[in-house]
Amino acid sequence: MRRLVILALAACSGDLDPPWQLDHDRIIAVRATPPAIVAGARSEIDGFLAVKGSATVQQPPEAVLVISPESLASVVTLDLDLDSGKWVVTAPGEAQLAAARVELALGPTDPVPLQLGVSYAGQTLVAVKTLRLGVAADNPVLGQPSMNGTPIADDADLVVGTLVDVPLSLTVADTDEVMWLTSCGTLHDHDEPQARLQVEKDDPTMGEFAVVLRDDAGGVAWRVWKIHAE
Amino acid sequence: MLTSLRTVRNAVVVVALIAGVPEAVAQPTPEAPTTVVTVTASGRVIDRLGRPVRGAFVKIEGTEDSVTTDKDGRFRIAAPLGSTLVFDANRFQTSLAGVTGESLGDIVMLTIAQTGETIEVAGEAPPAAPGAASLDRGELQRVPGTGGDIVRALTVMPGVVNLQIPLGYSGVVIRGASPQDSKVLIDDFEVPVLFHNIGFRAIVPAEAIATLDFIPGGFDVAYGRASSGIVNLTTRQGGDQRTEQAEVSFIDGGLIAQGPAGDRTRYMFALRRSTIDFVLPALIPDSVDLSLTTVPRYYDEQLRIDHKLSSAWNLTFANIGTDDIFELVASKNEDAKDKRFFNRTRFIRNTAAARWHEGAWTANLALSNLLQEFTFELGSNQFITAKLASITPRVEVTRTAASAAGLSQVVWRTGAEMQIGRNSIDLALPVEPREGEPMPEFDPKDTSSRFSGVIYTPDFTTWTAITANMDPRIRVTTGLRADVFGRSDELALQPRGELSIKLAKQWTARLAAGSYHRPPEFQSEVLAKSLKSEASTQTIAGVQYEPREGIRVQGSLYYTDRTSLITHDPDGTLGNNGRGTSLGGELLATYRGGPWFTWLSYSYSHSTRVDSPGQPERLFTYDQPHSLNGAASWKRGKWQLGGRFQLYSGLPFTPAVGSVFDSDRNLYVPLYAEPNSERAPIHHQLDLRIDRTWKLGPVALTGFIDVQNVYMNRSVVTYFYGYDYSQRTAFESLPIIPSLGLRGVL
Repeated sequence: MRRLVILALAACSGDLDPPWQLDHDRIIAVRATPPAIVAGARSEIDGFLAVKGSATVQQPPEAVLVISPESLASVVTLDLDLDSGKWVVTAPGEAQLAAARVELALGPTDPVPLQLGVSYAGQTLVAVKTLRLGVAADNPVLGQPSMNGTPIADDADLVVGTLVDVPLSLTVADTDEVMWLTSCGTLHDHDEPQARLQVEKDDPTMGEFAVVLRDDAGGVAWRVWKIHAE
Repeated sequence: MLTSLRTVRNAVVVVALIAGVPEAVAQPTPEAPTTVVTVTASGRVIDRLGRPVRGAFVKIEGTEDSVTTDKDGRFRIAAPLGSTLVFDANRFQTSLAGVTGESLGDIVMLTIAQTGETIEVAGEAPPAAPGAASLDRGELQRVPGTGGDIVRALTVMPGVVNLQIPLGYSGVVIRGASPQDSKVLIDDFEVPVLFHNIGFRAIVPAEAIATLDFIPGGFDVAYGRASSGIVNLTTRQGGDQRTEQAEVSFIDGGLIAQGPAGDRTRYMFALRRSTIDFVLPALIPDSVDLSLTTVPRYYDEQLRIDHKLSSAWNLTFANIGTDDIFELVASKNEDAKDKRFFNRTRFIRNTAAARWHEGAWTANLALSNLLQEFTFELGSNQFITAKLASITPRVEVTRTAASAAGLSQVVWRTGAEMQIGRNSIDLALPVEPREGEPMPEFDPKDTSSRFSGVIYTPDFTTWTAITANMDPRIRVTTGLRADVFGRSDELALQPRGELSIKLAKQWTARLAAGSYHRPPEFQSEVLAKSLKSEASTQTIAGVQYEPREGIRVQGSLYYTDRTSLITHDPDGTLGNNGRGTSLGGELLATYRGGPWFTWLSYSYSHSTRVDSPGQPERLFTYDQPHSLNGAASWKRGKWQLGGRFQLYSGLPFTPAVGSVFDSDRNLYVPLYAEPNSERAPIHHQLDLRIDRTWKLGPVALTGFIDVQNVYMNRSVVTYFYGYDYSQRTAFESLPIIPSLGLRGVL
């Protein structure tokens, strides 16, 4: 109860950046492509970052390391591909995965969760990402969101009016999670498939607008647009 | 080692006394005076707050000679020198006084709830323990800055941790411990909550309360299940005159009816409903993503019927209940289930009690039952529904004797209680943080703590104590309480004792020591069958100075050793591996005289703990080193004016130093510094209160305005962190808070 009161009071505070604010130094998402790989397969690691006073960036981590399980730390291969600039994780063989399942008390066909630690900005931004080993899966496909009932084209420069309630919508599966973000305006229900954007008088009139989709298997996808209010 | 020795010694003394006293009481061998000298003894009978007790019977023990006190509580009776006078009055415990001369001074009569202290000549009754204090209804309503509410009035007590909002469900934290370590009793039976979710109002209006007794430690063997302190509220008995009254403010409104029903029966009935729910929706800005699907509201009710069955029997039925509910959705979309919060807390307690008194014997019998329901739902995944039904039979027998076994003014008590609880629990929640553990990341999908089933908690208690004068100036109480906590199959023996020495006419010194246990019943503790009770050993030394009637100054020093504190083990389960200490001093000066009621209290406290062997020592979360309260109220004619100044230390907190982003769960896991390694700054404020009464036909009206923090001092209470813990903002104390109210009495 006390916790809820504190959360409610914190949410009402105007001194803290809300979680949908893109004008804030943070990691928005870490992506493994693909998020689940079979023995011996490769997955690329990169991230989606917001930077205060600047545009968002999509870039590989500065460093990646295996956090758990410890038995895989020495057999998982982590390489920085200098051509693509991405970190590449290569899953170990079936024998090592079987040993890891025993260590983690998993079933013989269960995916092995490989928890990776990643860092950016001289280790001031740190995240963990779980890659599932022993099974195969892809990141979700982000459908076309709509603004004011109109589908948003991938290369659109978005224009919204000030003090106008702008409905946002994205069709997703029940188990998927949506997160709308912006540095131009104020978002309501930013973590719901149907959200609203309103540019208030004191809000910046130029910035970015983004949507991130997460599935329940560690998959993630995102898209970013430029936006201004008039 | 010292504690162990003391425990053994006390146990031996108790056993010896218990074994010896009944025989001594049954076969007294008074020393017959060689010549009988009769004097006309006179005095005054007062209650513990110095008010005259009218109509009290004053009888010479062993004879039928008796007189009755007048409206000023005074009496005169011809009695043999060396004889004993017995004082008896409705609602009060029987008192004794030896006839040592013509002038006996003031005889203080105590209510049944204050057993163990039968006589004190001159002035107010002694507090229930060193450092204890009491307020009656009139004083509760005079303390400025409380809005007449008992929860906030509690903060004037020395040793109570002070903050603008209540702490924990009991609303009271004593001597730096945790909220669950102290118990709040109403008419001697525990109530699960003391205040409402909104408005931070007590569940009992001050108008329905007769007295508030605050015992920060060293309490009697009749009290238990607490390792820190006791707050005991005694409900108001109906008076000789029938009245109906109504009161309304922006927070709530209520009705109280009380009075006689025939010659032998008194009643008091109170009903209250929140009014803040009528205005709250209008105060929420449209821009806030919030839907109040069930506007927060509450209901309270109290009923008390007292019936004098015969000269020996008094019967009481008491009922108290509350119902608190609210539901909100953190979205304009009322169907957003993931953002829904729902809470309902309600309970009802019924108590039937009988008191029998004949000569030197008194028996108190009671049967009480509690029905409680707590429901909490957060989002689509987290919930708890806990229903508790308990029944508590209790009996206590008291025997008084003018002398026995070489002791004088002997009071021997023994009692037993059974508390059978049936807990029906269905929950899916995150693992709750224990005392001092910082809040983990907020994950609405986390339901790592799950349970569905019924748990029985059969607890049995027995106690005995004897109080006697070893010398006219030395009074000793020693007793033993034994609790059997059936869930954990634990026997907790708790020897307790107190020594009171009248150093001079105006000076009394008191020393109390004892053992105390709190059963594992707080939140998820009841789920872990292997958990034992938390224990404390308290030592309190106090001195009391009463230079003249109405003035009392008392100071006390205490040291509490806490063991078997319930903490998380490294594997995440609960264990009894914590220990801690609290030490401090308290000062209280009061003046009750003429139009004035003044109160000055200061407390120093230092509470530290170690959560498991090898862990570093840290502060308790509610460690508050300094707390100062000065209040004065002046009443004359139609006006009553009052002011109160508070100054108190901020509480410790654990700062976040960073976070790790969990990309798959889309949340930030906080990284914290050492627990409670920072402290909020000192806060001070001034509160004012003005009351005005007037007549409107047959109705006596009282209007009041009570303003908290009149000079709008805003101190940092704690800090709130943003979603990624990279930013924090100060949560400041509330600015000026006016409270308006109107009461009409018919």
